[in-house]
Amino acid sequence: MKVLIVDDSRVIRNMIGRIMKTFGYETHEAGNGVEGLQQLAEIGVMDLILVDWNMPEMNGLEFIKAVRADSTHANTPMIMVTTESEMDRMALAFMAGVNEYIMKPFTEENIGSKMEILGIGTAV
Amino acid sequence: MNIEDAELIKDFVIESQEHLGDIEKDFLTMELQGAEIDLDLVNHVFRAIHSIKGAAGFLGLPVLESLAHREEEVLNKIRNREVIPTVEVVSTLLSATDGLKELLDCIEVSNDMDVSEKIAALDRILSGSSESNDTEAANPSDDSQRDNEQLVKESEATLDQATAAVETLVNEDSTPSPSDATASNDDTAPSPVATPAPKPTPKPTKQVEAAKSPSSLSSDSSPAETSIRVDVGLLDTLMNQVGELVLARNQMLQFAERFDDNEYNTTSQRLNLITSELQEGVMKTRMQPIGNVWSKFPRLVRDLAQICEKEVRIEMQGKETELDKTIIEAIKDPLTHLVRNTVDHGIESPDVREAYGKDREGCLMLRAFHEGGQVNIEICDDGAGLNVDRIRTKAIEKSVITEQQAQSMDEQEICNLIFAPGFSTAEKVSNVSGRGVGMDVVKTNIEKIGGTLDLESHSGLGTTVRIKIPLTLAIIPALLVKCAENRFAIPQVNLMELVRLEGEQATSKIDWIQNAPVYRLRGQLLPLVDLRNILGKAPKERADNVESEVINIVVLRADDQQFGLIVESINDTEEIVVKPLSAQIKELPVYSGATILGDGSVALILDVLGVAQRGRVLQSSGSRNPGSQDDSSNAEAERLQSLLVLGIGQKRQVAMHMSQVARLEQVPDHMIEEANGQSVIQYRGKILPLIDMASVLGVPRSRTVTPGDDGEASTELASELTNQVVVYSEDGRSFGLVVDRIIDIVEADIDLVESTSGNGLLGSAIIQDRVIDLLDLPTVIQSAGHRLA
Repeated sequence: MKVLIVDDSRVIRNMIGRIMKTFGYETHEAGNGVEGLQQLAEIGVMDLILVDWNMPEMNGLEFIKAVRADSTHANTPMIMVTTESEMDRMALAFMAGVNEYIMKPFTEENIGSKMEILGIGTAV
Repeated sequence: MNIEDAELIKDFVIESQEHLGDIEKDFLTMELQGAEIDLDLVNHVFRAIHSIKGAAGFLGLPVLESLAHREEEVLNKIRNREVIPTVEVVSTLLSATDGLKELLDCIEVSNDMDVSEKIAALDRILSGSSESNDTEAANPSDDSQRDNEQLVKESEATLDQATAAVETLVNEDSTPSPSDATASNDDTAPSPVATPAPKPTPKPTKQVEAAKSPSSLSSDSSPAETSIRVDVGLLDTLMNQVGELVLARNQMLQFAERFDDNEYNTTSQRLNLITSELQEGVMKTRMQPIGNVWSKFPRLVRDLAQICEKEVRIEMQGKETELDKTIIEAIKDPLTHLVRNTVDHGIESPDVREAYGKDREGCLMLRAFHEGGQVNIEICDDGAGLNVDRIRTKAIEKSVITEQQAQSMDEQEICNLIFAPGFSTAEKVSNVSGRGVGMDVVKTNIEKIGGTLDLESHSGLGTTVRIKIPLTLAIIPALLVKCAENRFAIPQVNLMELVRLEGEQATSKIDWIQNAPVYRLRGQLLPLVDLRNILGKAPKERADNVESEVINIVVLRADDQQFGLIVESINDTEEIVVKPLSAQIKELPVYSGATILGDGSVALILDVLGVAQRGRVLQSSGSRNPGSQDDSSNAEAERLQSLLVLGIGQKRQVAMHMSQVARLEQVPDHMIEEANGQSVIQYRGKILPLIDMASVLGVPRSRTVTPGDDGEASTELASELTNQVVVYSEDGRSFGLVVDRIIDIVEADIDLVESTSGNGLLGSAIIQDRVIDLLDLPTVIQSAGHRLA
């Protein structure tokens, strides 16, 4: 199982990556939307994409729109990982095509339950 | 948080510090732009703070998170044009950013630190923007003013605060939620500014703007993907290993010389070249732009100017000039001190400036550029310049100089007195620049890394401080000398000249003044130190006959004074790799390091200042300066120029300035090669073009041993097989001037009769009763068909 983590903070990518690895995922990372799209082009369809909102180059919202515009990734579950200050803009994210959102900071359980909602498997 | 997260936290601190590192200048730009905000810029800053907040939440750092959160809120309001980044707002933001930095610096105890004042200040902006005509309107500025002053004081206070906080809060819940943290901080440390009671935790005002998504406008100049992060420790190790490789290479080259195997020699030459390139490459990885140090100055200048009630603009040139990392570290404090000083003392208050017809705003200019293997850094201002009279009075008052000395000193020399130990001009000690560390410390620190410092001041027009420092400290050119069966390296920056006394001269030319040996060098008394003495060896036994008596004196400069070091023999110069000393001998002040020589043996590097102090040849600072001049008046010494006199052809003598001479070499005929129709030699891994001075001046060469007009010394230097080459460097290019004889170094007061012919000569002058032509080197090089780069 493959997950793509798109976040401009190396630290946060590491932390999320660590959690996802315990779920048995192979992790791929990108520092912004543009890099995220490059990863998708190189590696192909993911089992899950976790994306931050606020990033340089291409932000999370633009990234989600770009991913959904490509039919190959039309069904890839995407979770927006964000902080509360963008909560009021979540409607925008859902409109753009995100399946769930989760607030930073989150725990293993938080994200596990979100994944359950989406019906995404974990290896544990 | 479990233990493996320690690594994450470390990573978080590094990442956050990077984020914070470059946003200060963005804040300052925001302040300048005022209401006309640059969205990209604000977004950039916003993202930096936002990232810190996000990660802090994960890592259980609520105090950090809440401060970052407030700062982010304020930035969000700026982004939405609800708050204008005025001076007060930016001051509060800068102060909050400092708070974040402090928390990051002591991340382990950050949860117990008190940042409530900073949070309160941010809250005031947040609430103030909605209830515009608040009674607190005046408060933020007072607050920011105080924050500035706090910033300028040493940050000890905050550390104390932190420790105190740890003590008082030790029994409290160690991981409170963000809001708890704020509340508890407010309880334990009721801040004085909180009396008008701003709401402790105002709800972030909701902004419903579905239509506008400011972050989508962002386009960021993030660093290119072509760079990677490398641990400095790794670079140091690499540098060390390259040093070892250089040494192994040197050994191999020496070994190769003894073999007449062509293939082996070619291979070792190749190894030689690759090693040199590798060495250069690794050195480059350690280079950092000086802008890294300068980047904190705009903020410093802004804050200082506010406190001193001055208007100062800072300009920078040559930010990208690169220096070795260790040197960057070493100049940070001296530069900061100089910049502080300039704002505090150099630049006048706006009213005074206006009265003198200047702009109200003073200009502080930082310039950096490479020149001749060194880096020059200039700190210029257009302020009042130094008050020469006051410095003179102060210097006499503080017995830095005597009244008599003061009279014979010109303005320039008086100005340089501010670098003398125990000197401080400030009438009142301000908390900006007068804090006990004088300019002498700045000078010492610059000199410690082999740099020099010079000051130029024009009354009413401004002051320029010029610093010259070497590019790197890791590999330095040094002179190798021998004494008591050991070899020692002397850094070439300290080296002035070499003097060899033979036979009769060895005893007659050395005078004794109060049991101390001195040598009369061109009319100046040069105190002497025998290296054997310094090493604690018995004095050398006298040679049996006077004829074979030889004294080698290395003329060195330490702390602006010259002295002669007597050594047994003088070997060669070599680029040496500096190694630190082991703990056992580190304490000895006469050594500054060690190196491994080409043949694999170890040599200690002499610390020239330490040697001078041990040998007691330094005069106390009080009687220093012009006093060391023997008899001759100071003004006369000013006019004297050091010249190298060269013999060309049978009779012709020409001279060039000593400052133009890089080295003197003897080159055997067989080393000369032809390249591109020119005579060249391989010199220190580079190609050195040779210019035959005899043909430039149109005189026949006379290489055969001629009883030179100047007698003794010159004859033996010119042998049939070797060429005398003067290495001359300018603008990074070197040339070898082939001459027939090297005659002498003289100090003369030149009265030049200008040349009309223009064929490579500046003119003629009478030097030591002879008419000697002075070379115009750029023209000589041009007429020989070369061009200076």
